Amino acid sequence: MKPILLQGHERSITQIKYNREGDLLFSAAKDTVVNVWYSVNGERLGTYNGHTGAVWCVDVDWDTKSVLTGSADNSCRLWDCETGKQLALLNTSSAVRTCGFDFSGNIIMFSTDKQMGYQCFLNYFDLRDPQQIEDNQPYLSVPCSESKVTSAVWGPLGEFVIAGLENGEINQFSAKSGEVLRKVKEHTKQINDIQTSVDLTMVITASKDNTAKLFDSTSLEHIKSFKTERPVNSAAISPIMDHVVMGGGQEAMEVTTTSTRIGKFEARFFHAAYEEEFGRVKGHFGPINCVAFHPDGKSYSSGGEDGYVRIHYFDPQYFDFELEA
Amino acid sequence: MRDTENMEAEAEFEEGEEPSFSDPEDFVDDISDQELLEDILRERPQEADGIDSIIVVDNVPQVGPERIEKLKNVIHKIFSKFGKITNEFYPEDEGKTKGYIFLEYASPAHALEAVKNADGYKLDKQHTFRVNVFTDFDKYMTISDEWEAPEKQPFKDFGNLRHWMEEPDCRDQYSVIFEAGERTGIFSNDVKEPITVEERARWTETYVRWSPKGTYLATFHQRGIALWGGEKFKQIQRFSHQGVQLIDFSPCERYVVTFSPLMDTKDDPQAIIIWDVLTGQKKRGFHCESSAHWPIFKWSHDGKFFARMTQDTLSIYETPSMGLLDKKSLKISGIKDFSWSPGDNIIAFWVPEDKDIPARVTLMQLPSRHEIRVRNLFNVVDCKLHWQKNGDYLCVKVDRTPKGTQGVVTNFEIFRMREKQVPVDVVEMKESIIAFAWEPNGSKFAVLHGESPRINASFYHVKNNGKIELIKMFDKQQANSIFWSPQGQFLVLAGLRSMNGALAFVDTSDCTMMNIAEHYMASDVEWDPTGRYVVTSVSWWSHKVDNAFWLWTFQGRLLQKNNKDRFCQLLWRPRPPTLLSAEQIKLIKKDLKKYSKIFEQKDRLSQSKASKELVDKRRAMMEEYRKYREGAMQMYQEQRPLRLELRGGVDTDELDSNVDDWEEETIEFFINEEIIPLGDLA
Repeated sequence: MKPILLQGHERSITQIKYNREGDLLFSAAKDTVVNVWYSVNGERLGTYNGHTGAVWCVDVDWDTKSVLTGSADNSCRLWDCETGKQLALLNTSSAVRTCGFDFSGNIIMFSTDKQMGYQCFLNYFDLRDPQQIEDNQPYLSVPCSESKVTSAVWGPLGEFVIAGLENGEINQFSAKSGEVLRKVKEHTKQINDIQTSVDLTMVITASKDNTAKLFDSTSLEHIKSFKTERPVNSAAISPIMDHVVMGGGQEAMEVTTTSTRIGKFEARFFHAAYEEEFGRVKGHFGPINCVAFHPDGKSYSSGGEDGYVRIHYFDPQYFDFELEA
Repeated sequence: MRDTENMEAEAEFEEGEEPSFSDPEDFVDDISDQELLEDILRERPQEADGIDSIIVVDNVPQVGPERIEKLKNVIHKIFSKFGKITNEFYPEDEGKTKGYIFLEYASPAHALEAVKNADGYKLDKQHTFRVNVFTDFDKYMTISDEWEAPEKQPFKDFGNLRHWMEEPDCRDQYSVIFEAGERTGIFSNDVKEPITVEERARWTETYVRWSPKGTYLATFHQRGIALWGGEKFKQIQRFSHQGVQLIDFSPCERYVVTFSPLMDTKDDPQAIIIWDVLTGQKKRGFHCESSAHWPIFKWSHDGKFFARMTQDTLSIYETPSMGLLDKKSLKISGIKDFSWSPGDNIIAFWVPEDKDIPARVTLMQLPSRHEIRVRNLFNVVDCKLHWQKNGDYLCVKVDRTPKGTQGVVTNFEIFRMREKQVPVDVVEMKESIIAFAWEPNGSKFAVLHGESPRINASFYHVKNNGKIELIKMFDKQQANSIFWSPQGQFLVLAGLRSMNGALAFVDTSDCTMMNIAEHYMASDVEWDPTGRYVVTSVSWWSHKVDNAFWLWTFQGRLLQKNNKDRFCQLLWRPRPPTLLSAEQIKLIKKDLKKYSKIFEQKDRLSQSKASKELVDKRRAMMEEYRKYREGAMQMYQEQRPLRLELRGGVDTDELDSNVDDWEEETIEFFINEEIIPLGDLA
């Protein structure tokens, strides 16, 4: 399985996302550009230019019409996916950490950082109401004073947002009232990433406490835990197998003092039911910041602190492999 | 009702009629003072109040009225340091004070403080104060004049202190400190995974130590040492030594030596204290003048003697009296180092060159003080004494600067202790020595020599005829430490810390490298007491990431990686010496085949059981997960209409569910072609 190396960013990758069909791969990085690639061969299709700071997050709606990005330049922007034209600019008081389209693609949410005296907010806009965009006035803005949101995804059917906080808590914020519907605390440290399963029934959290955990999206019931010995930056659930992939490694600030060999920058595959590790993929020479499965489950990609995105197609053995049970 | 009453009262008041508050004449209070004023009465002064705050000072100068003011001033100056003096009394007899006084402080705490600090205060040559708390008076009054036999202490049963030796599978135990010292656990070693025997939070404040025969586990606390043992690790003994930092057991486990940098006072030596383990009594305290290497007191192998070196002196003490052997120390001018033989009551020590007198290594028998061997050495820079574990051999590593040369050469002077007149043979080493170690139960030794990165490992054998033979040399080794198996024959060469944890497992019977491995950044290597397993570990004390301990077989096969959060220290529990005679051991070795069959069968059984357990566990987990998924999928199906509605009727549940809407697009890519002639590859 020779990986396809995507060299389009000058700084570390912050988030990668496939569209629903999986033919396109979007990548955001600490340089100001968002790239879109053909997932089949790694050719770059285009860029979304406009941000003036590190781009922290990217999302694409279900019919691949619009792209949403959030940046440290204190803005969240909406783009036309095909033409790369900026459709909307939503200015904020602090960096935008995480963003996303709901199931219908009509409502967007994004969270802002607790920064420069501003506290963390979770904002909801309804794209069907152009006035909201024009006035930069969300229909709902939820202050999160206790602990800031570090990662968030929409729950099924767009009823709530599942947000991971800096203190390790997971909260469900209603999209209608903004109230916290449910909260659990299974992690002891910051949640770096949350991703849903393809059917949105489950979410997987990746935490600085060296674990990734599987939860039910609706009840937030804790289902499984996957333990490593390094902070986990990102985790994804395979759409076709009972597998999860996790990426992470020694924190970037400590990396300079050690060799790649012990930084543990491999992507690690765990069996979702047995919680056992069964494989690793080497390649990055810095911590992995994000991982994502192709919606057909036949390949996955990882983006690293080293600035590369790597697309890996699984060997046939991967699909036959089974742990004895 | 109350309201109306009040209103009435108010109404009356307004009318200006003063109501009468006096009790009627025949009124008797039905509440006693006790009930009514309990809280106030409790504070009513008592006759004995303040009695705890009074001290009695004896040996005060007897003075007449003309000097009493002066005395009072002096007394006040000394005693008001401990608190405010509220009352004082100087009994007089025929115009002179009686020589004892009473002082009262504002609180009992001050009185205690005064007793603690002013007792024994030297006012002048004739007058040394004796200070007591007044309440002690009663205590001492009641002491009977006749001696009473002390009450027999009830026997405390801690169970079998050697319980762990009865483990049917002969598992060895080890202690593990982790979570940065927050938790300490005792585990039984097993090939599969460690079995928890005991685990406690904050069991020790710094680290732990096992006693030499494994009976006790010592934990360190600000206030002293605690010993634990028996089946459930109950507390067996405590030694109160404020700020204790170091301990050392006598080899017989009967005594323990503790060191604390606090607390030492001139009159009462207690920097180093020797305790009786069985009774918990303090046997003797010592000062600690020099910051010598721990252990400051070195024990003879049987625990009968212990010795300490100070400037030009070697002091040997005997147990159980803890007094100096023959009531005097040995004067050995210039003594640099000494060491007990681990097998006999023999002390080896060395003295450096002094003008025309050559350097000297002396072996001395004790308690006779007979010098059994003296060896003179020339141009000596330094000596190190290395005993073989049984005391069969002594190696003195001598660094010399031969005349006319600049560099340092090293000689190993090998003393054969078991032979008449203790013959000495010399091995000359050309390179600098990094490490030296004797085979514990044998006649081989291993040496690491050279300069990094060209480090060589050499193995020597001391033959019966005294010839010392180089068996094998491995060059270019990544190693800075040698760890022999406690049973001999096998050893691990380790490149700890700066050498990234390189490990080489060597069998010295034929000098083969059985395995070469690595435990990155390993800081410690610990053999189990049987020599079957080795643990390598990365301690949080030396390195902050990847703290773990790995278990290997003696051949270097990795069995387990145990990642413990902020793991600090692993120590194997030592075993007492075997009770089997040499013949019995020989017999067992002869019949090894018979035993190995039994053990192999046992191993197979446990292995198949383990794999079955694993499979069962997986099945159960899968079952649970599947059940959850079924529930989730059912809900997912139920929500299908809602999903369709949200996406305007487009079915997106499957990737290809709306395949009809797809537009086919043909994209052409240029693909690099590279032609590699196959012939070149071979």
